[in-house]
This record gives sequence, structure tokens and C-alpha cells, in this order.
Amino acid sequence: MLRVDPLRNPEPLIRRVYGYVAYRIGDGPDAEDITSETFERALRYQKSFDPQKGEPLAWLIGIARRLIEGRPPTLELAIEVPDRSDGGDLEDVTLRRLALSGAVSRLEPRDRDLIALRYGADLTARQIAEELDLRTNAVEVALHRALGRLRAAIEEPGDPPVRKQGTAR
Amino acid sequence: MRHKRTNLETELRANRPQPSDEFVNRLEGRVREGRRSRAGSFRVAFAGSLAAGVLAALASVGGLGYASNATGEAVQKAKRVVKSSHGTAVVRKSPSRDQYGKPKVKKKAKKKAKKKAKGRAFARPPFTG
Repeated sequence: MLRVDPLRNPEPLIRRVYGYVAYRIGDGPDAEDITSETFERALRYQKSFDPQKGEPLAWLIGIARRLIEGRPPTLELAIEVPDRSDGGDLEDVTLRRLALSGAVSRLEPRDRDLIALRYGADLTARQIAEELDLRTNAVEVALHRALGRLRAAIEEPGDPPVRKQGTAR
Repeated sequence: MRHKRTNLETELRANRPQPSDEFVNRLEGRVREGRRSRAGSFRVAFAGSLAAGVLAALASVGGLGYASNATGEAVQKAKRVVKSSHGTAVVRKSPSRDQYGKPKVKKKAKKKAKKKAKGRAFARPPFTG
């Protein structure tokens, strides 16, 4: 049987793993460290990759998730977003980006993970379901609710969105 | 509501944090280097296992004995060729030998010792003329 090399084309994989990690723990050197460590481990345990279980990206995201969950807790700095812009498209875009990052960072870990998997790593709902050992439908519902909470967090900066009792995870 | 959600999703994708190009290039280089070294060791292991497989297949059908016999014969033939080309050839029949004489081969003459018959003496009848 021919062995499939999961790291044949690393560049797009690096970008997507970084996108996931940065949505989880914030953009910057920590995200770079986790991404590097993910690929180091992937190289070390390349033999453990089974193409029948999923695509290389899902495998790498699984490694990155375990690294994030296993790392010691660090002080996360809140992203401060200025109240208004003084003008200019670039500034507006930057402010909007900061507002989005800030809102994502204020989400609960579960919502943050879902958002990072869907929009950072660009995994499909089905791939996320396989990763989290859930049903695809449950993932879609959970994502829908996480997006609702994210929207609330963007509209009301500063107050962390509260999960209602009894909502599906 | 639908429009709003779609906007937020688009925004999340568009504003996905991007790593610096320098970081991507550096990590990509490391990954490619790691893959290359692993591929090299894999190639060596593959060649070794292939050779072992061929040997096992040959041994199972007695090919090894056949191969060793063939090799032995080839070595013997090669030895013969090498010896005859380097050794001194002694020519026993040649015109020069005819002309200058054959080397005398001294044959040891067998001395036939007359043995006296022992035992009963032979009695010749007397000469009567």
C-alpha cells in the first residue's frame, strides 16, 4: 500500500492551522509557537496519519487542539477597541477587525473553539463533527448559536456574552 | 437575520488572522527539510526490505544453491583462464626440439638379475656327439 504524505504541500496547511490557533488563543507569537509545535509533532508522528480517518488538515487541527488544551494557562490580554474612528477606510477595517478579534476572545471556550474550527481552519460542519465526536446537525446548531453570541458580543463590547441555561453545546 | 449572519460569517473568514510570510516560509522550509530526511531513510529501508524479499524468494525455490554453483563454476573458469595466460607453457613437440635434439630421457635400465634357480638342479642329458 502506498503511504500518503500528509505534509506534501505544507503552505496552505500552515495558514489554516495558524488561523485556527489564532482564533483560539489570539494572534501573535504564542499562535506561531503552537503552529510550529503542531508541525513538529506532525513530522514526528507522520506514520500515525490515517487517510481513511480524515484529511491532513483535520489531523493537524486535532494535534493543535491537544496542544492548546495541554498548555499552561496564560494571562490573556483583553483587546481594547477604540470607541470610534476618525476617518479612513483602512482605519475602519482595522477597527472592525479588532472588534471582531475582541469579541471572539470574549466568547466561552466552547464557542471559541467552534468559531475557530469553522472560520479559522475552514473545516466543514461534518469535519468538525468528526473532530468533536458529534453529529453534523448538532455542530450546525451549536455554530448558529455561537454566531449569535458573537454578534451580541460585537454589538455590546465589554460585556461577555452569557450562555443561556439549557442551550445545546 | 440571514443576511446579517452571512455578513458575519464572511467577515470572520475575511478577517481570519494571517501568519507573517516570514513565519510561513521558515516553517515551510523546516517541514520540507524534515520530510526529505524521512524520505531518505525510508528509501534506504525500502531498498533493504526489497533485497531481503528477493533473497527470501530465491531461497524458497533453491535459487541460492543454483546461484552459488554458478558462481563457483564461473570462478573456476576464470582461474583457469588467468593461470594459462600467466603460467609458463611447456611445448613438447616443436621444430626447435626436432632440430636441437630431444632432451635425453634417461631410462633406468632394469637390471634383470638372473636369479639362480634355487631348489632342484636341472639335469641336462650328457652330450653324446
